[in-house]
Amino acid sequence: MHGSSDHSRLWIRVFAAPILLGAATITGLLAALLWGTAGQYVAWVTVGAPVLVIASVWVRCRTKKTEQFSRTLRGK
Amino acid sequence: MKARTVRLWSVVHTWTSLISTVFLLLLCLTGLPLVFHHEIDELLGYAPQPEAHASAARARPQAIADAALAADPGRVMQYISWDKDEPGIVMAFTNNAPDGLPDNATVRAFDAVSAKLLGPVGVGPMLIVLKLHTDMFAGQAGKLFLGAMGLLFAVAIVSGVVLYWPFTRRLRFATIRDHASRRVRWLDWHNLIGVVTVAWALVVGLTGVVNTWAELMLNQWKATELASMVAPYAGKPPPTHLASLDDVVSRAKGAAPGMEIAFIAFPGTPFTSSHHFAAFMRGDSALTSRLLKPVLLDGESGEVADSRALPLYLQVLLISQPLHFGDYGGMPLKVIWAALDLLTIVVIGSGLYLWLARRRKRTSVRADAFARRAPVPS
Repeated sequence: MHGSSDHSRLWIRVFAAPILLGAATITGLLAALLWGTAGQYVAWVTVGAPVLVIASVWVRCRTKKTEQFSRTLRGK
Repeated sequence: MKARTVRLWSVVHTWTSLISTVFLLLLCLTGLPLVFHHEIDELLGYAPQPEAHASAARARPQAIADAALAADPGRVMQYISWDKDEPGIVMAFTNNAPDGLPDNATVRAFDAVSAKLLGPVGVGPMLIVLKLHTDMFAGQAGKLFLGAMGLLFAVAIVSGVVLYWPFTRRLRFATIRDHASRRVRWLDWHNLIGVVTVAWALVVGLTGVVNTWAELMLNQWKATELASMVAPYAGKPPPTHLASLDDVVSRAKGAAPGMEIAFIAFPGTPFTSSHHFAAFMRGDSALTSRLLKPVLLDGESGEVADSRALPLYLQVLLISQPLHFGDYGGMPLKVIWAALDLLTIVVIGSGLYLWLARRRKRTSVRADAFARRAPVPS
């Protein structure tokens, strides 16, 4: 029982964000098709969400690298 | 997940991706400029511009047909289309014969008010890009081949999602192991970009596959629904003279109240029978403007012969087109579409890199093992 609930929790941890992003993308793709102009605004946010996630991870990685670089320079 | 299951899915993912890699890269690279084909055509001067008019009275459809035939003497009319996104322009298709090949058709734009010839449509560098994207200049065989590659892409995506679990279950979402080797870093980026774009990639991939079946679907509609609609005309010769297009359009509008005309197919063209005009009507909402309703009209008298909704498979085809092109949500959606296309190129490229890196690693491990086993020369 305990193992099974751990497994479920782990599964949710791994797949929760991808499922949410996938659902947002599908909602946006259909919204622009079904709800006219209002749907277009929804689509820009929801279909664009995966791009924002990647952009934020990339910025985070770059910032970390820059911080490490400046720390190394200060150490020298 | 058992190690054997992971290995099996890994084989499926590797080979479906590898087989389709070159073609997917071609589709992504050509798809990128196609997202902005209107803007590129405009920039390069290949997009006809409507004249400015004080009055809004639109030219009669027959005047457009006459102008198109005058611009292309000796040829015949195939279609006239009214694009809802470009109300100032009417497009006319002429060809050597009503059932002439699409590649032999000439498309010209006319001013919607004055019926003046504005210029050719679908010429310039974007036509080459479009042909590469749709059939690689190989006609229907090329289309179906690219459709098969699209199906392999879908299998690669599904197997990639299955493999996402064993590869990332010990990591937080969006972890990039910066301190690890380059291969591990790229594995993390490949997994992250792949999993966040999975829904978009599946939708665009599968709607692309559906689009490659367009001609097959149209042939099926002609052989079933259209054949039953024109059955009362079986054995009758083709019309000797055609009804006025103005009458045809006005009667079609009367048969489909609340709808406007999207395009009209002349008798003998692939979208209708040899006896009938087919007026394809569209609604006015975001969804119904994509779903067409055919109205068949007698070629000689212009009287309405029949009208039925399109079957489900053709409605699916019509809905799949905007979902594949990404041209239905304004410029911001086009920019997002392009960004997602670029991210897909990164996923494909990183997948190829990971496969090559693993192969190189395996080869060097094997070489080391061989060297260890080999007898030391005395």
